[in-house]
Amino acid sequence: MNIFALDFPPVSHLFQWPDILFAGNEYIGLNKTGLIYIAALLLTAGLFWAAGRRRSLVPTGAQTVAEAGIDFVENSIIMQTIGPDGRRYLPFLTTLFFFVFFSNIFEVIPFIQFPANSRMAIPLALALVVWAIYHVVGIRAQGFYQYFKGALFPPGVPKALYVLVTPIELLQILLIRPLSLAIRLWANMVAGHLLLVTFAVLSAALWGTLYVPAVLPFAALILVTAFEIFVSALQAFIFTILTAVYIGGSLHPEH
Amino acid sequence: MSRRLWAAAAVIVAVVVLSASAASAKTVGSCILDEIAAAEFEGIEGEGFTAAKNLKTLAAAGDEHAEELKVALGDDLEGCFDAPNPIIPEVKEIVWGGLAFVVLLALMYWKLFPVVKNLMDQRTQRIQDAIDDADRQRAEAAEVKANYEAELADAKAEAARIVDEAREQAGAVRADLQARAEADIADMRERAAADVEASKRQAIADLQSEVSDIALGAAEAVLGRSLEDPEMQRQLVDDYIASVGAGQD
Repeated sequence: MNIFALDFPPVSHLFQWPDILFAGNEYIGLNKTGLIYIAALLLTAGLFWAAGRRRSLVPTGAQTVAEAGIDFVENSIIMQTIGPDGRRYLPFLTTLFFFVFFSNIFEVIPFIQFPANSRMAIPLALALVVWAIYHVVGIRAQGFYQYFKGALFPPGVPKALYVLVTPIELLQILLIRPLSLAIRLWANMVAGHLLLVTFAVLSAALWGTLYVPAVLPFAALILVTAFEIFVSALQAFIFTILTAVYIGGSLHPEH
Repeated sequence: MSRRLWAAAAVIVAVVVLSASAASAKTVGSCILDEIAAAEFEGIEGEGFTAAKNLKTLAAAGDEHAEELKVALGDDLEGCFDAPNPIIPEVKEIVWGGLAFVVLLALMYWKLFPVVKNLMDQRTQRIQDAIDDADRQRAEAAEVKANYEAELADAKAEAARIVDEAREQAGAVRADLQARAEADIADMRERAAADVEASKRQAIADLQSEVSDIALGAAEAVLGRSLEDPEMQRQLVDDYIASVGAGQD
């Protein structure tokens, strides 16, 4: 693709990767995206393994990170959205947070520079898992009838408005929530990756011809890199807190 | 592994299986290759690349039918340049990503999370115990201090009482001693006065006896001489007294 006389790689080259293992197999072909997910698994598991191995009274290193993560998910997410009875979801939400974060942060890791969540696969799969969990939680906590009645006919709404509200609520709990959860994460990572690629391509192209003006896109590249580190953590937080909000809504419909 | 974890794993596996029918995107090159390799044209010899080459030759020679087919093939190939729909997930990525997440979730539930969480809870408990212990010790120290202060106050009161008592006793002793001394002094004074009186009486008695003796002597002396002349009598008494006085010296 040619933009302003710059060779900009086609989108397929930015997000699609050739298979490394089981090449050509539509179902188990392992590409860079799959590898990053495996890396996210190993990183999270390694972090918690290291944290559990040290067992010192005053935490340092991996122990600090793991404990700060658990503490953050417990106090800043669960206690704020579900309440004390949401603690049983702490392992799930902590895993979700770290897995999404590590999948995202490869966006700025040199030589990898690709957020696995800029592919729709896992954002959608995780959103569907969350979708299933909050329905199961709601049905178990309130019963099938009460859960869907509370969700589709919210109390306090004039009866005439149910004609409008109920279809919207139905769409929301069945479709909009999981899709918005998946698309929010995916689109943010796509946008971040495109921004980084744009400034990197600009810097490289200008460095090869004009040199001095390359400083500007390069400075922007550094800023965007810092911003994307923030976005990686923020999106992991948003994905986790929305999951907790949905679970909390299913557990306590009165809120 | 808990039932909840099995349920979560089953949900994830189900999601992966259900998503398996989603189409996988192709690259532009492989799309063009696939399109041409599979090309077959009505009325054109050969298939695949041979057919495409024959089509091109016939179209260049002015065959209208071949020209139409060439345009149609071009339109098909143009479709390969459309960017792959980025919102359609690839099955292989769902498989690997889903597998990674399920494995991580299983590891976290099985061992990793409880170990770290227990460690945090133990620390919280330990700190809470230390705070409770410190509170208890502070309360004990306050109690000991209160007891000590109470005992100190008692001791001070006792000391004050003892001092007062001692002072009273000393006052009593002093008063007693003073009274006794005064009584002794009065007694001594009385005895001294009695002694003086007795001495005086004795002296008077002695003096009277002496005077009697003297008077007797004087009378004897007088009686030995003529006492008719008063002047002589006087002279005699005076001489006698003088002689007595001289005799006593």
